[in-house]
Amino acid sequence: MSSKAATLVERIRTRLKDVIDPELGRDVVSLGLIYEVDATDAGVVHISMTTTTIGCPAAVFLVGAVRFATASVTDVKHVEVHLTHEPRWTPEMMSV
Amino acid sequence: MAGASISRWTMSYFAASLVFLVVGQALLAGGFGYPVLPVEAPETLVIVHSLAVGWLALLFCGALLQFVPVLAAAPLFLPGLAAPALVLLVIGLALLNCGFLNLAGYVDHGLVLLPIGAALLATGFGLIVTMIGGTLARTGSLSLPARFVALGLLALTAAAGLGVAFALELSGLVDVETLHGLLPAGVSLHAYFGMVGWMSVSAFGVSYRLLTMFLLSPETERATTCSALALVVLSVAVASITLMALALGSSRAEPVYLPFVLAAGAGLIFGYDVLTIFRARKRKALELNSITSALAVAFLMLAILLYLLLLFTGQIEDRIGALVYLVCFGWLSLLGLGQLYKIVAFLTWLECYGPVLGRTPVPRVQELVCDGRASNWFYLYTAAVCVAVVALLLEGSFVFRGAVLAQTVAVIGLTVEFVRTRRLFYVSVQDSKLDAQRHPSLFLPNSIERS
Ligand code: HEM
Repeated sequence: MSSKAATLVERIRTRLKDVIDPELGRDVVSLGLIYEVDATDAGVVHISMTTTTIGCPAAVFLVGAVRFATASVTDVKHVEVHLTHEPRWTPEMMSV
Repeated sequence: MAGASISRWTMSYFAASLVFLVVGQALLAGGFGYPVLPVEAPETLVIVHSLAVGWLALLFCGALLQFVPVLAAAPLFLPGLAAPALVLLVIGLALLNCGFLNLAGYVDHGLVLLPIGAALLATGFGLIVTMIGGTLARTGSLSLPARFVALGLLALTAAAGLGVAFALELSGLVDVETLHGLLPAGVSLHAYFGMVGWMSVSAFGVSYRLLTMFLLSPETERATTCSALALVVLSVAVASITLMALALGSSRAEPVYLPFVLAAGAGLIFGYDVLTIFRARKRKALELNSITSALAVAFLMLAILLYLLLLFTGQIEDRIGALVYLVCFGWLSLLGLGQLYKIVAFLTWLECYGPVLGRTPVPRVQELVCDGRASNWFYLYTAAVCVAVVALLLEGSFVFRGAVLAQTVAVIGLTVEFVRTRRLFYVSVQDSKLDAQRHPSLFLPNSIERS
């Protein structure tokens, strides 16, 4: 990844710290819900994320929130958010 | 997206169930049936079914409709059946209760209402079994918690089937040999299938999942959980065989013990598992609904100990009222009320704030409730249940009715809290401006825009 793309990823991660899981009251990054953030120099972003529970009714809203927050970061042209449960989220993935 | 759905009618089920809870408790406090009248009096049957079907069954159905898609990670099967099922259950229960009132001599010419009400109830439960069973069938392999729920559906079918048989027999409309053998010998099996086989077993399954979820405990398939499942499967199987033997005319009219003892064993293992889940939790501060769940499980342990004690001292028949009360109000209802407190807030949050999450500051789910007020009502409720059970054991009818009155007040207090949550009463002014048009309907379905 180029350094331009790397700083974009860093800015996206910082922005995602504002997206709060409504149930746990913590942000999606420190909960470990964001598995991967990938960006190209052209601003095409691919995010792979999970939820604490499979089939959680809030999942669709969390994905929407992550997509919206990412799109609002300068230089981001296109966002794709992919919801996965591989691997399954475990409480150990939270940062202390 | 798999399972990301909100059950549209769940809130309506909850509203109806709370009405029946208040009515049923008020009748008990007013001395309408037991313990002023005998356990088997028709008046008692009105109260029993207002509480067992009106309160608990509607609550369980509403919660399962919302929660089973999460368990199965699949969308609800035939969601359009939820509204007709609710209507059938409510009207069926009203007619069944009118039939019981006829038996009690309050109204004339109403016996035919018993089988009509029973048929409507059985159809309503049939729709529920179709929806929940169909949802579970959508997943290839069922998780352990989902297996408890699936087994519960079999027991619900048996409970409803027996109920229809009783209603036909009591109405005198038909004269079938098989039905004669079922009353009164089948009554304890009917109560077993309803309160133990269906409700308690489903509550085990749902709690395993919900508690790990809310407490952030590791989700592992424990050997203990497998043995609890094996015991309840055995318990329901033995009860089913006993039922068939009764229907086929083996006239063993003595009370059934084995299914209860097997289920009691499963209950003890479940209690141990719950303790393990609490100990392994990553979320250190306990939320109110986790505390009430722990209290409910403690009541279940007490109920099991009381059952075994009464069994070995030969006092089951005389003290059955106290035991059923402990199971109904200490275990099932407290668990239900605690989860209701959580689910109402969560669903309301999803309806109002889900679509704008990430776009604008929104409150957390916890900010839709006031734990301080609610916990006072929960503690009053818990204390009232303790007093009521002791009063029943000591046959203090007056104290019992006073305790039930306190319990009714606590439930009304909690209902006010649920309404406040729905009305976004506790959300700060600044946030609520944002949702001037977003206020959800109190208990009718809301349309949710998806982003
Ligand atoms: C289709 C649904 C149902 C119908 C038609 C029905 C009908 C009946 C009838 C007619 C009786 C009276 C039997 C007698 O003469 O002693 C009875 C007793 C009883 N039912 Fe149900 N029932 C239904 C569902 C349930 C459920 C779901 C539960 C519990 C969760 C339940 C709990 C009980 C209990 C505990 C008794 C014994 C009450 C006593 O002896 O005081 N019923 N039921």
